[in-house]
Amino acid sequence: MALRWSRIAPQLALTPALAVTAVAFVGSIGWTIYLSFTRSRRLPEYTIDWSEWGRQYQRLFNDAAWEISLRNLIVLGLGSALAIVFGFILAAMIEREKRGESFFRTVFLYPLAVSLIVTGAAWRWMFNPELGIENVLHQMGLTFVNFSWLASAETAMWGIILASVWQSSGFYMALMLAGLKSINSEIWSAAKLDGVPIWRLYIEIIIPMMKFTFITCAILLSLGVIKAYDVIVAMTLGGPGQSTYVPAYFTIQALSASGNLGYASAAAVMMLVITAIVFLPLVLLTAWQQRRRAESVR
Amino acid sequence: MSDLTIAQKAVGGEIAVRSAPYFPRRRKRITGRSIAVLVFLTICALFFAVPLYVVVVTSFKTMDQIREGAMFAPPGPWTLEAWDYAWNRACSGINCNGLKVGFWNSVAILIPSLILSISLSMVTGYALALWNVRWAGTFLFLLFICAFVPFQIIMFPLISMTSTLKVYGSVWGVAIVHAVLAMPVLVLIFRNYYKDIPQEIMSAAIMDSGSFWRIFLEIILPMSGNILIVILILQITSIWNDYLIGVTFGGFNGQPMTVNLANLITISTGTVAYNQNMAAALLTAIPPLVIYFLVGKLFVQGITAGAIKG
Repeated sequence: MALRWSRIAPQLALTPALAVTAVAFVGSIGWTIYLSFTRSRRLPEYTIDWSEWGRQYQRLFNDAAWEISLRNLIVLGLGSALAIVFGFILAAMIEREKRGESFFRTVFLYPLAVSLIVTGAAWRWMFNPELGIENVLHQMGLTFVNFSWLASAETAMWGIILASVWQSSGFYMALMLAGLKSINSEIWSAAKLDGVPIWRLYIEIIIPMMKFTFITCAILLSLGVIKAYDVIVAMTLGGPGQSTYVPAYFTIQALSASGNLGYASAAAVMMLVITAIVFLPLVLLTAWQQRRRAESVR
Repeated sequence: MSDLTIAQKAVGGEIAVRSAPYFPRRRKRITGRSIAVLVFLTICALFFAVPLYVVVVTSFKTMDQIREGAMFAPPGPWTLEAWDYAWNRACSGINCNGLKVGFWNSVAILIPSLILSISLSMVTGYALALWNVRWAGTFLFLLFICAFVPFQIIMFPLISMTSTLKVYGSVWGVAIVHAVLAMPVLVLIFRNYYKDIPQEIMSAAIMDSGSFWRIFLEIILPMSGNILIVILILQITSIWNDYLIGVTFGGFNGQPMTVNLANLITISTGTVAYNQNMAAALLTAIPPLVIYFLVGKLFVQGITAGAIKG
C-alpha cells in the first residue's frame, strides 16, 4: 500500500525506536556479556585475560550465596505456582456461581494494583514476631503456632511465597476466568444430562481444554519469579543471613553493595540464560499455536 | 510469531468469543452448593482483604496502642499523627522531609516518562503496522525478545550512559529509563491494535493527500482513544509502583515514593514506628488504588496486555 514517495517518512519515524533497541538493549546486553569476561571491580576494565576468561563464572558457581539464590529461585517458583492453582479455583467458583462476580473479582485483584514494596511492608508487619499475627494467635491461647516466618532462615522463603501468592493470585484468576468463559456453554448442560460429577468434568474436560491458558500462566509466572526483587527488598533484604537471596537480588548486591562489576555481569548473564530457558517454550508454543490456527482456517 | 502478546491472546481473543448466548441462570433459588461456594469465596475474600484492613487500622493508631498487641482491634482513639509524620517528617536516608518529597518526585518522573514512552511507541507501532517497512518482521521479533530481557543485564550500561548524558541521579534519569524499558511492550501492543485497521482506510488516506504524519494526526490518533486509555493506566500504575529503576537511577535527589517507603520500612536503627510505616505504605498505595477502584476494568485489560512485561 505504500507509495514510493512515502517510503522515507515511516523509516525516519522508526529511527528513534531502532536506536533505542540497538543501544539500550542489544548493545547493552553485549556490553554486559563482555564485562563478565573481564576483571572489572568498581570501574569497568576492558582487557580480557584470555587464559582465564571464565574466572567470574567459576567464582560464581563456587559461591554459596549464588547456590542459595538458585535454590530459592526454584522454591519461589514452585511455591508461587500455588497462585495459579488458587487462581484457577477462584475463577472456577466465580464462573459457576454468578452471584457477586464483580465484587469478588474486585477484591481478589486489588493487590495487583499496589506496589510490591507496599505489599512487602504490609506482610512484614503481619509477620512481626512481637506484635504481629503470631502474637494475636498466642493471646488466643494457640501458643504452639509459629507465624514469625521472616525471623528464621528456614521459613523466611515461605513468608515471601505467601506474600507473592497473595499479590498475584488475582491476576491468574483473571486469565483463567477469560479462559473459562471461552468454553462452550453446551459442555455444562451435556455433562449435566450425562450425570457426570462436577469435579470429574473439571479434571477430565475443562482443564485439558484450557491447557494453553495454563501454559501461558506458567510462563508468565516463571518470568515474574526470575525478576523477583522488590518483594525481597521490602520483606527481608535477603536475610536472615543470605537465606532469601534470589538471582535478581544477588546480582544487584554484587554490583551496588560489593562494587564488583565483572562478577555482577556474570550473574546477570546467568539470569539472561535462565530467562532464555523459560522463554524458549513460549516461542515454540506460539509458533505451534499459530500453525494450528492456520491449519484450522484451511 | 512476532505479532503477539500472548496473554492478550489468552484473554482478549477469548472474551470476544463469549458474547455467544449463554444459557440463562437456572433458578434464582439458592442451593446448598451455591451457599458452600459463596462461603468459600467469602473466606478467600477475607484472606485478600485482611492485610489492607490491618494496614489501615494500624496507620490510625498510636504507638502505645500498637504495643498492646491487639493487631486486629480498631483504633482506640483515631489519630492522624502517623499520617502527618509519614507525609511531613519521615526520614529516607538523611533527608527527613517526609514522603511528600518522594510523592512529588514520583509525579515528576511519571509525566515525562508517560509522554516519552507513549509518543515513541505509538508512532513506532503505527509505522510498523500500517506502512510497508521491509525489515518490520525482524524488528518486531527483536522487540518481542527485548520485552523479556531481565533488567539486570542492561543495568550497568544504562547507568553509565545516563551518567554520560548527565541525567543519572535525577528524576529525568529515572523517567528516561522507564520510557526505554517500556518501549518494546508498548510498541507491540500499539502495533497489534493498529494492524486491524482495514486496508481500505489506509489506501484511501494515502490517495487523499496522505503523508505519514498527516494520516497519523488526522486518522490514527482520533481512532486511538481506547487503547490510549488502557496504556495510560498500565503505564501510570507500573511507573508509580516501580522500585528497582527508581532506586538505581534516582540517586539522592530523584527518589520516587516507593524508594522512600522502602528506606523507611527497612530501617534497622532505633524504635520502629509501625503506625508511621503503615501510613507511609498507604500513602504510596493510594494513587494506584484510586485508579483501580475507578476504572478497574481498563486496569485489568492493561495488565493482561502488558503481562509479558512480567
